[in-house]
Amino acid sequence: MMCKRIIERLLSIILILVMCMVLPVSHVQAAPPSYQYSYWGDTVAAPAAYMATRIIDGVMMGAGALQEPADIHVTDDQEIYILDSGNQRVIITNHRFELIRIIDGFVNEGRMDSFNNPQGIFVTADKQLYIADTGNQRIVHLASDGTLLNIVRSPESEMLLSTFVFQPARIVVDRAGRMYVMTLGVFDGFMEFNVDGTFTTFIGANRVYVDPIEYLWKLLSTREQRSRMVQFTPTEFTNLDIDAEGFIYATNGDQWGDNVKKLNAQGTDILRRNGYFSPGGDIRYAYIDGPPRLIDIDVADSEIYSVLDAKKGRIFTYNGDGYLLYVFGGIGNRIGEFHTPVAIERLGDHFLVLDKGYGEITLFEATEYGRVINEAVRSYYQGDEERASRLFEQAVNMNANLEYAYDGIGKSLLRQGEYQEAAEYFKRSMDRKNYSKAYQLYRKETLREVFPTIMTGGVILLAVFIAVRRVLKSRGRKRVVTFE
Amino acid sequence: MYLTVHPYKAFWELKYDRNQRASLWTAIVILALLSLTSILQSQYSGFLVNFNKPEELNSFMEIVYVVVPVLFFSIANWSLTTLMDGEGKFVEIFISTCFALLPLILINLPWIWLSNYLTFEETAFYYFSNSVAALWTLYLLFVGNMTVHQFTPSKTVLTLLLTVVAMGFMAFLCLLFFSLVQQIAGFVITIYRELTLRG
Repeated sequence: MMCKRIIERLLSIILILVMCMVLPVSHVQAAPPSYQYSYWGDTVAAPAAYMATRIIDGVMMGAGALQEPADIHVTDDQEIYILDSGNQRVIITNHRFELIRIIDGFVNEGRMDSFNNPQGIFVTADKQLYIADTGNQRIVHLASDGTLLNIVRSPESEMLLSTFVFQPARIVVDRAGRMYVMTLGVFDGFMEFNVDGTFTTFIGANRVYVDPIEYLWKLLSTREQRSRMVQFTPTEFTNLDIDAEGFIYATNGDQWGDNVKKLNAQGTDILRRNGYFSPGGDIRYAYIDGPPRLIDIDVADSEIYSVLDAKKGRIFTYNGDGYLLYVFGGIGNRIGEFHTPVAIERLGDHFLVLDKGYGEITLFEATEYGRVINEAVRSYYQGDEERASRLFEQAVNMNANLEYAYDGIGKSLLRQGEYQEAAEYFKRSMDRKNYSKAYQLYRKETLREVFPTIMTGGVILLAVFIAVRRVLKSRGRKRVVTFE
Repeated sequence: MYLTVHPYKAFWELKYDRNQRASLWTAIVILALLSLTSILQSQYSGFLVNFNKPEELNSFMEIVYVVVPVLFFSIANWSLTTLMDGEGKFVEIFISTCFALLPLILINLPWIWLSNYLTFEETAFYYFSNSVAALWTLYLLFVGNMTVHQFTPSKTVLTLLLTVVAMGFMAFLCLLFFSLVQQIAGFVITIYRELTLRG
């Protein structure tokens, strides 16, 4: 009896062991799995590219709790500038979030002056601060040590209406010191200021969208009715960032069309949209939620940029061609989720997400997968296609759904002259243009190989044909001759 | 084959000289071949010209997409021309319609194979021949209709346009009918459920 029971038990243990071996080992993931959009617009699973590792609040930085922080900026040497709007101050920390300095005012004409609900901050390479001091209707330009350099107040220009109220909310500054300011309630684009703070022009206005039904109503109504209706106005921008080459990346609050833009000096949109879908956050969303509302954009090196969707709290990262690389974040209570995210910024390859509601910063670190993708895109951008191809292959091994990676591999194969394989990879990434290119070369190659054989065959066939005909003819003639 | 290049003569023969039963079977064969072509086209066309999602391919639906419009056209045309004193019978209309579809098969079938060897620049040829096939079919449809009903050209054009409108009506009525049936079925099912649950 005992014996039998022991045997039974042993058997069951063995069975379990065998099952463990047979069944695939499921990986335990710390970060919630992410997703991607396939060529067909389906949501497909993807591993997490970024994982929240730390939450930092004001107390941890040694600056006291943050109150409704609005903006964040990281310099090239990884100093972090946090605009603590509710407390009217700027907190400066190093990359480990150790406090360096707090700026809560400056000396203006001999008196102490302070901010009033500032919304935007920008720090130049030599650490000059530009603060969009929204409540005081001015832009404050400080030197790196906090002394006042300049104040830009409401400009006077015939381009502006008499009712115009200057409420700067976000600001970027290019290498030459020109300021591009996003101003609340302005529909004509960004305001551009000279180095000395004089207003020059508006750039990059959004286009007006006319609702056809409303247009019909307008046509049918009288002038008095029309004057009381809402005017068709272009939408405002929601945020902007500037890259190393001086191009402005901007997001707008449109519910339609392209809501991510890359503006050149003339204000024309030059963003490449060669991805499966034009960049702009989620393409599938519940009807009641509506399309994503992008409120911040951050440009990294190699034309990689990320946008923040306020509705779902998600961060979408694209490469310069407009392919979606990865998605992370969300609204919620767990680590890696936010209440009201307002700003994103890259700290090296880490991400900082500023949450206005909680007054916290969430630090995201790249997972293996995220690192591989970042490196791959970078290598490709720098022209090192072999390395890019290797990295893309690694990425594909981690996520077979990443169709963009197949494209990367295909391009490097194309460069190496492996046309047939390149065509296969392009087919997999649904890149018809490059497929055609690879296929054309492959076809040429094969034809060149096969052509001599075909020609020889053809010539031989022709010779045989002529010979046979001649023989038949001569025979026929003979016959004719005999008949006569 | 003869019909595609000499439509007037051939449709005349089809109407008056040929054995109708044989023609009917030929017509059905043509229709079947066209369905086959459309299935093959969506499955095996070259990558550059094939925009179908392979997971959503349904051969049965492809057949429906071919057969239903032809039947709709025949029925709509028949019901119109009986009112407009055309001479064609329903079978004749159906046969002539099917025969008119021949160019679609003749041109598109070889292109399924050829399209696999195309580059991006050459797809223009593919689309060009596709449109040629469509126009040719339209022309044959026109001639066939004219011959079958013994109409003048202008009247044929008018009937064809009206036929399209009638097809729209039919589609609408069909939808209405099906949705009504669905509603009734839903109603009956609800009552049945209610009864069984109460019982």
